This record gives sequence, structure tokens and C-alpha cells, in this order.
Amino acid sequence: MVEDRKWPEHLDPVVEEFRNCFDAMERYELLFGYAKLHPSPLPQEEWNDDNQVHGCQSRAHIICSVDESGGFLLRGGADAQIVQGLMAVTAIAVNGMNPSEVAEMEPDYAEAMGIRSSLTPSRTNGFLNMFKRVREEAVLLQ
Amino acid sequence: MSIDKGVEVRYVPIDTESFTLDMDAFEVALDGASLVCVVHTSNVLGVRNPVEKIVEMSHSVGARVLIDCAQGAPHERIDFDALGADFVAISAHKMAGPTGIGCILVKRDAMAEMGPFMTGGSMIKRVTTEGSTFQEGHAMFETGTPRIAEAIGWGAAVEWLDQFDMTEVHAHINDVASWTATKMREIPGIRIYGDPGREDSSGAVSFLHESIQSQDLALLLDEGGFAVRTGHHCAQPLMDALGVPSTNRASFWIYNTMGEAESFVEYLGQVVQRFA
Repeated sequence: MVEDRKWPEHLDPVVEEFRNCFDAMERYELLFGYAKLHPSPLPQEEWNDDNQVHGCQSRAHIICSVDESGGFLLRGGADAQIVQGLMAVTAIAVNGMNPSEVAEMEPDYAEAMGIRSSLTPSRTNGFLNMFKRVREEAVLLQ
Repeated sequence: MSIDKGVEVRYVPIDTESFTLDMDAFEVALDGASLVCVVHTSNVLGVRNPVEKIVEMSHSVGARVLIDCAQGAPHERIDFDALGADFVAISAHKMAGPTGIGCILVKRDAMAEMGPFMTGGSMIKRVTTEGSTFQEGHAMFETGTPRIAEAIGWGAAVEWLDQFDMTEVHAHINDVASWTATKMREIPGIRIYGDPGREDSSGAVSFLHESIQSQDLALLLDEGGFAVRTGHHCAQPLMDALGVPSTNRASFWIYNTMGEAESFVEYLGQVVQRFA
């Protein structure tokens, strides 16, 4: 669907789903749905100062690791559904990838989904901070 | 202050049902106090504190009083002399003025006890290698180049506000906020923090939905063209007392109409129906 994409091909259907939304409210509704379908959520009991993503208006926490087969695993949790939904989409994108590939990824999919333009600057920064943290962790896990 | 100066700081709690200051606790805390600091009107709850009584009680034990009138000045004429407080703080951008400027009104006898906290141009009288003397009164606090443009802008805002009968203005704002809060309570899951129905409450309507997180709700309302404040409102101890991390806050003022309030309530209802 996109020739010069900077996200893994398996995220294409998700990006397309968001692109096909009628308006911003429908996109948010979809994002709320993805929040509930998070493939690797981080339960609130595991939230602490070390895994908190700073710069988010809401509380957001992530833990990155490598699974048994060497694939990247992003576990994340947030109190806001919109942030949780963005984490879920990010987890769908990066889970199972080689950490070195994750370290090279760009957050362009949020723009392509039509989400980033709807976010306030502070929330955009929050998403970017979360993404930056994922990439930093990926570098360490290489 | 407690760390640097060894000052004992006492906090007066609020009644979380009526959202008003616990005046019995205030009376206890007042014992031996030298300075009482209180907001005229809460920026979170919209509740107006009984500042006249607080001044009277504080002065009866010899404590000075500082009132933060940033939220009160846009709602009523603050008569500094009649109020009797020793210090009154006001912020321009809360009363249609520019950002970056505010003022503190100080009673003359209190000013006489004060010294400069910062030195610089304009506040000196005479500087020699042997020592320095400083200006008196407000001039001793105004170092360097003043905020000229902001002061002129604030003056224009005050002149603009001066054309209105602030009693009528407040009644209008209170009507809109009170009606809005009443209607919002009919929306399933919405809880109001504060009591906009009180005649002396401001136009702030703080609220939360039981299942839609405050940041999410703010973003969804924004899509409908409604800008609400979200967060702890720089009042984290109050959030702790209320047992919540943040609230949403719709704020009404002189330029808002009942029609806008109706649109807001209708849209909020739609958002809740769709996302809760």
C-alpha cells in the first residue's frame, strides 16, 4: 500500500483501517478498540517510576524485552485509552521484530493513520517520548 | 519556606462533600500563625472562600493575610481597602489581560516592614563602594526594565472591564455555570467537583466521568470545538484530598452564552454515549 513506508509491512492493515475512518471521532473510537486489544499489556501492578514514560500528560509505562525466539516484546500500559491504543498499535508493529530493526523504526505510522495530526502538541510529544523510549530500549537489547 | 527558613506550614483541609474550607480546622490552625494564605476563589472548584471572615479571624490573632484574588478579580470588584487583607495578588491573564504580568497589593504598614528580595536597576537610591540604599514602597521591588507592553495591555483590559456592572456579569456567569452543572449531572457517569449552584461560585465547572479518563475526554471534547482544561490544575494537594489524579474543567466567563453551554452539554452527552 505504501512504497516508502518506515513501518513493518504487517502493520499495513492497521494503518489502512485507521485511514478508512470517516472522521477523527471514528479514529478515536477505533483507537479505544485497539486499547482493549493490546497484545501485550502491562498490568498496573507493574507500573513504577523506572518504567514510566515521562512527558506524557497521562500515566504511561513500558517494559521492553526479548522473547525466547529473540523477538522484541513491548509491554505497555496507560491510564488514558488513547495512549493505550497508540501503545497497542506500536506493540503490534514491533513485537516479534529483531531489536535492531526496532531501533531503526520511525514513528511515521501515527501520521499515516491520521492520528498524530489530531493530537495536541503535548500529547504528540507524549507519543514521541514513548516511541523514543522504545527505540532506546531496542538499542540496548540488540 | 519550611526547609529554607524553618517556617512551620499548616494546611487547612476542605470538606470534600461541600467543597468548602473546614473553618473549624482553620480556627485551630490559626493559633500562633503569623501569615494566612488563601485563595479568594478556587481555580479548580469555583468555590469562593469566606475571605472577609478569614481576614477578621486572622487579624484578631495578629496574623497577616495574603489573598490570591487571581480567580476572584474576574468575578467581582475587589475593594482592597474594604477587604482589609494585607496582601492581595492578581493576575492579568485571568481578567482579559496579557500573560506574563501580575501584581501584589500591599498595605502600607506591611510594606514598611519589608525589604527588597532582588536588586537591580530602578530600585536603587544610591550605590557606593561603602554600601547601598534603596527606593521605598513598591519601587524597591521593581528591578530592571518593567513589563511595559504587558502593563499597557492590562490597563486596557481593566478599562474594558470597567464598563460592566460586575454584579450583573457574575450573575450571568453563575447562571450559565450553574445550569451547565445541573444538566451535566443528568449525564450518566458524570460527577461534578465543586458547587456551581452556589450564588458566589465562579464559572469553573470541574468534572470527571467514571470510565472515560480525563485526558481522553478532553481530546474528544476538543474534536467538538470545546476546549476544557485537564490535569491537576497546579493544585495537587487538592487532587489528593478529592482522591483523584486530575479533573476536567469547563470554564465560563463574560463572553460565554447559554447557547454555548447547551451545545457543550449536548456534545458531552453524545461523547459519553459513544465512548463510555
